[in-house]
Amino acid sequence: MAGVREALDRRRGRPGGRLAGAVRWVGAGLFVAVVLALVWSLLAGAEPAFARDGLRFLWGGSLDRTGTAYGAGPFVVGTLLTTAVALLLAVPVGIGTAAMLSELAPRWLAGPLSILVDLIAAVPSIVVGLFGLLVLSPLFGRDVGPFLKELPLLGRLFGGTLEGGSSVLLAGVILAVMILPTMVALTRTAFAGVARADREAALALGATRWQVVRGAVIPGARSGIRAAFTLSVGRAVGEAIAVALVIGNRPAVPHSLLAPGATLGSYVVTQFSEAAQGLPRARIVGLVVVLLVLTALVNGAGALLLRKRTTAGGTP
Amino acid sequence: MPSPTPDTIPTTVGESAGLLGRLAGEARPAGDDRAAGPSEIAVRLSEVSVTFGGHPAVRHVTLDLPARQVTALVGPSGCGKTTLLRAVNRMHDETGATLSGTIHLGELDVYGPETRPELVRSRIGMVFQRPNPFPTMSIFDNVVSGLRFNGIRNRALLAEAAEAALVQAALWDIVKDRLQHSALELSGGQQQRLCIARALAVEPEVLLMDEPCSALDPIATGKIEALISELRSEITIVLVTHNMFQAARVSDLTGVFLLDEDRVGELVEVGPTAEVFSSPRDPRTLEYVTGHIG
Amino acid sequence: MTLAAPLFTDEAAEARRRLVRGSALRTLGRRRLRGRIATALCALALVLALAPLAALLGYTAYRGLGSLSVAFFVHTATPPGIPGGGIADAIVGTLVIVALAVLAAVPLGLAVALLLVDRPGRVAGVIRFAADVLTGIPSIALGIFAYAVVVRPMGGFSGLAGSVALAVLMVPIVIRADEEAMAAVPTDLREAGLALGAPRSRVLRSVVLRGAVPGLVTGNLLALARAVGETAPVLFVIGVGAFGSRVGWNPLHPLAAMPVDIYENGTAAFPAQQAGAWGTALVLLLFVLLLSVTARIVAARLNRKAR
Repeated sequence: MAGVREALDRRRGRPGGRLAGAVRWVGAGLFVAVVLALVWSLLAGAEPAFARDGLRFLWGGSLDRTGTAYGAGPFVVGTLLTTAVALLLAVPVGIGTAAMLSELAPRWLAGPLSILVDLIAAVPSIVVGLFGLLVLSPLFGRDVGPFLKELPLLGRLFGGTLEGGSSVLLAGVILAVMILPTMVALTRTAFAGVARADREAALALGATRWQVVRGAVIPGARSGIRAAFTLSVGRAVGEAIAVALVIGNRPAVPHSLLAPGATLGSYVVTQFSEAAQGLPRARIVGLVVVLLVLTALVNGAGALLLRKRTTAGGTP
Repeated sequence: MPSPTPDTIPTTVGESAGLLGRLAGEARPAGDDRAAGPSEIAVRLSEVSVTFGGHPAVRHVTLDLPARQVTALVGPSGCGKTTLLRAVNRMHDETGATLSGTIHLGELDVYGPETRPELVRSRIGMVFQRPNPFPTMSIFDNVVSGLRFNGIRNRALLAEAAEAALVQAALWDIVKDRLQHSALELSGGQQQRLCIARALAVEPEVLLMDEPCSALDPIATGKIEALISELRSEITIVLVTHNMFQAARVSDLTGVFLLDEDRVGELVEVGPTAEVFSSPRDPRTLEYVTGHIG
Repeated sequence: MTLAAPLFTDEAAEARRRLVRGSALRTLGRRRLRGRIATALCALALVLALAPLAALLGYTAYRGLGSLSVAFFVHTATPPGIPGGGIADAIVGTLVIVALAVLAAVPLGLAVALLLVDRPGRVAGVIRFAADVLTGIPSIALGIFAYAVVVRPMGGFSGLAGSVALAVLMVPIVIRADEEAMAAVPTDLREAGLALGAPRSRVLRSVVLRGAVPGLVTGNLLALARAVGETAPVLFVIGVGAFGSRVGWNPLHPLAAMPVDIYENGTAAFPAQQAGAWGTALVLLLFVLLLSVTARIVAARLNRKAR
């Protein structure tokens, strides 16, 4: 092997090889430079906003005379609320779908159906948003909203006066549709990581098919499901276009799930072009910075979980 | 199945007598500590064939497994031993293999139309090639997992059964102070004994062991073999192994599987272990045995 | 075997056996029922997961088909309220913007991925971290970035700015896909090349690249599909609301794009514009689905051939 390596090192000196290597290094350098420039341009763009309001920008909520909020507070709340609604819907549905496709459905059915679920991921967010805006929003304003308000106990979540269908709730529903493919795909990966031997162990002890899933597969996939969860959160927090179309974009903390609100992303989408140069625009860019921090926190947690899982699983 | 007459046994018998003698010497005298007389049959296989996707893996196996004895199934890899073993507790239900012939567990028709596979499996335990404790469970939860699957929730009962099973598997003294630790903290051999304890906790009548030592070192293997000898008096054991000496050391009966001319597994010969190794009736057995102990 | 405690007598074992058997038999019906209920719930989840897709595809087709005509494809957009507009400008704009983004992102991503496969180590760690950071960044941030580095310096909106944003969006996806495709090439193939004395760079190029072709094609097509449908990165930078009367090809000028078209017309009050949005949505949807289905078919076809 040493001989091979020496021969390799000698050959690497050839100009052709060196050029190919150089191209790759230039590419890598360019890539890292772009990432740095991206982060820098956002921080620089937001600098005036933080310079004026300091860290208060993170949670402040009052409006200035132009109607532009100077704090990220209402938008952070909106982002967290819509994400929570989306997760409440997408996590159980996603895990159930994954269990059906990976464990319970016969293979001839699971194959084509999982392709369909994957296709949801390919649908552009603008199309989902359009459907939400022109179809679901009227439906929510006319039927779903009044129905939810009448619910005992739960109705409190949907209090206040109805103002059309555009609402935090609808934004959450739309987000749920959008993060579902991520949730399903990653949960299925987690299920696939559970050894056949574990399933057989449970089966051989007299477990029913569902007990095998419940007792061996889901516990074995738990860390993977957790990672699927955090990555779905990351997607939900960062999605802007579809939410902007259905949430109503009111820069205030929503008083009910049926009230309009705004998320960090949706407010940037609707206000960036309209904001005047200078402080108003810096504040919008500042919202992007806050969004970046939020997604970094979530994705960091997700990456940590994934890494932990791969080291715990070990490589054969 | 052709039954050869003694004069068809090749002359190599004389040359290999030493090796066969060694094997036969290791074999325990048949029925040493049991009352004489015809023993009851725990599992009865008759004309069993298993087919995967149109290709038969093993066929026409007729075999009686006497209660509270160890039956070893030996043979080259790919000759259907494991396939046959997994047919006994209906593990093939999930893999799409088809089975013909009948298997009876006592009075129960294992593949009968009214028979629930879950109930069959809770009466027939299984130990696999590689130790497979549930990786996310504690030692205790592993041992009682079978009981929980079968609907037992009473804590005192679970604790009692866990202790009994761990003592039976010669593991109690090692793990009694760390029952809540992860099962993955144990060594490979200990994990395999934990899997045996897990199977025993359900109090099966039959224990199927599929090359349980193939992933273990010699010392751990010795402990498992000692365990099998201990359990012999209480439970019917079927042991698939490729190790002829292991079969000779721990089994009462030995069945030899070989590939027939169509490359399908068949049971060539079955009988008391000492007899199968010292004076096989079938020339193919002799050829296989002498070829695999040198 | 120790028979010290009553736990270990034959009677105790027999009692336990009867108990387990009884429990297994008694609870089996309940256990199976629970399994059936759980399976039914999972099936319901599957239906709930697929229902939005069905509703979305069905309704978009229903509303969109009404707008589709030859004129819809060859005419450009008309000012709000004037009927009879088409999306020729948006289709061409999207093609130009995405083509430029692909030209930048695909080679760059491949170069970086080659480096990652060839030289694992600290440099690879830094690059991979950068790729992870970029993957996690919301796409809206890329629009702001393109605005800062292209629109401001150039003094105006341009298709090029959109291409830059989409390229940055695609690069981490391409890197990840390319790296995975190359890592999936069996190592013994690679070592066989090395043992023959081929230079390292050539081994990489010929053996690994050829083996990775299905994965490379699939991954890049999926990245492309993603870029085609993205709205947020291009919304602020390509020149919204420029209802051009002609099809623009020059990326240095403002360009239209299908997703932005949908956004603008979908949020407009005129029913005619909304109808146009559905038509554009259908075209975009078909285009994106075609790309991702093609990607999967290519992967399956080439995989089979490799075997």
